[in-house]
Amino acid sequence: MIEVTALAIDYGRGVRTVRAVEEIDFQLEGGRSVALIGPSGCGKTSILFALAGLIPSSAGTIAIGGNHVTAPRREVALILQNAGLLPWKTVWQNANLSLLLSGEYPHRNAGAILEDLGLGEVKSRFPAELSEGMKRRVGIARALSTAPSVMLMDEPLASLDTLTRERIQDLFLTLWREHRFSLVLVTHDIEEAAFLGQEILVLTERPARIKATVSNPEVGPLDFRECEAFQVTVNALREALER
Amino acid sequence: MKRVATYIASIIILLFLWEIASLAVDAIYQSRFLPGPYEAFSQVVKNAAELQRHFFASAARLLLAMLIALVIALPLGLLIGHERILDRFISPMIYITYPIPQVAFILFLFLVFGTGNATKVVIVALVLFFQILVSARGAAKNIDEEYLTSVRSAGATHWQLYWHVILPASLPDILTSTRVSIGLGIAFLYIAETSAALGTGLGTFIKTRMLFAREQAFAGIVAMAILGLVLYVVIELLEHLLCRWKFVRQRPV
Repeated sequence: MIEVTALAIDYGRGVRTVRAVEEIDFQLEGGRSVALIGPSGCGKTSILFALAGLIPSSAGTIAIGGNHVTAPRREVALILQNAGLLPWKTVWQNANLSLLLSGEYPHRNAGAILEDLGLGEVKSRFPAELSEGMKRRVGIARALSTAPSVMLMDEPLASLDTLTRERIQDLFLTLWREHRFSLVLVTHDIEEAAFLGQEILVLTERPARIKATVSNPEVGPLDFRECEAFQVTVNALREALER
Repeated sequence: MKRVATYIASIIILLFLWEIASLAVDAIYQSRFLPGPYEAFSQVVKNAAELQRHFFASAARLLLAMLIALVIALPLGLLIGHERILDRFISPMIYITYPIPQVAFILFLFLVFGTGNATKVVIVALVLFFQILVSARGAAKNIDEEYLTSVRSAGATHWQLYWHVILPASLPDILTSTRVSIGLGIAFLYIAETSAALGTGLGTFIKTRMLFAREQAFAGIVAMAILGLVLYVVIELLEHLLCRWKFVRQRPV
């Protein structure tokens, strides 16, 4: 369970303080998904980084599983815009990085996950030798390697072509249903939010506040994009964003 | 293979230009004035034993200086580049001392460290230190924020951040600047070797022979060029070995 209460985040100090986020309240039950959508630069990434324990909150609280978040936690995985792969490490090394940092590698490794994601053949390659879609899958493998209970995604598919993006979205959905982690997705893509978020929080311009909450309970099937409920959500989101 | 061939061709052209220059200078002075490549190389062969001794003395100094400079400047540069507080305090010091020609201190260094090997190594190390420091700092400062965030979010300690991100990300730049600093290092080695207590070293060999046995002096210069070339190639190989990821080609998937 994730509980965010009256969250505010400021950048800078003194007179040059800039408020990035304010009055954010939401709760997410274990195994459910929420999407945060808003204009570029509104502060949605700040919310996610605070959830990841990477930046401090200026007011309010964040609790994951009843514990206050003050630093990165093992059960929380973060997937970044460009998958966050290190170019000097091979696919194998990148996928095992989280386990290596926590001291669990080599007793535990991401071998099975890499195989599952169809990356078994490219373990010894460097990121520069992979397609964009493959890079995302390596990033996912790294995130899954520690069996996290919370998955945070920061516009993970922003720079992909439409077809690859939809394929990886399908993969996210499958993995989410299979592994039952809680998913927090930050995106500026309306369809992505509607496809993956059981609840969608629509944010204002900076400083980001929640201006609407769209419920999207039918998320789950892979062919959800063809359902009427999907179109209803997309329209509701478009309207909320334009308001 | 193709690269080796062009390398060799380029050296042959260089020797050819040297021969032409030698003939031209001789024609102007109406005597054998500038030794040509043939004379220089035959002197290399003739004086092989002695040259070898001087070559290895110079090589040892240069390598030691490089090692000292790397061991101190690399971690320091990475620290200054990454830790903002350190950067604010130390960088002004660097930018004030960096433009001072280190050779201005040479007499002082001779006073402090004596006229033996120590000073010769220190002066070269000092020059290389600044080159490596500045490039390490710059490289550590310009690391893509996503790499740092990605590793931090996985719970990396400060030390792990340096080991897994900052060092490997900066290494290509640092090795490149070390490689291009070899010429500078050799120039300062020459100055150090010819400024005091003439002993071993290619600098000494060249200086003591330039007036009365010019062909031999040029043989020494050839040996110095070889020293530079060998080091250059070694560091290039090191770059390919340690930074293999930089040289992989995008493959169709």
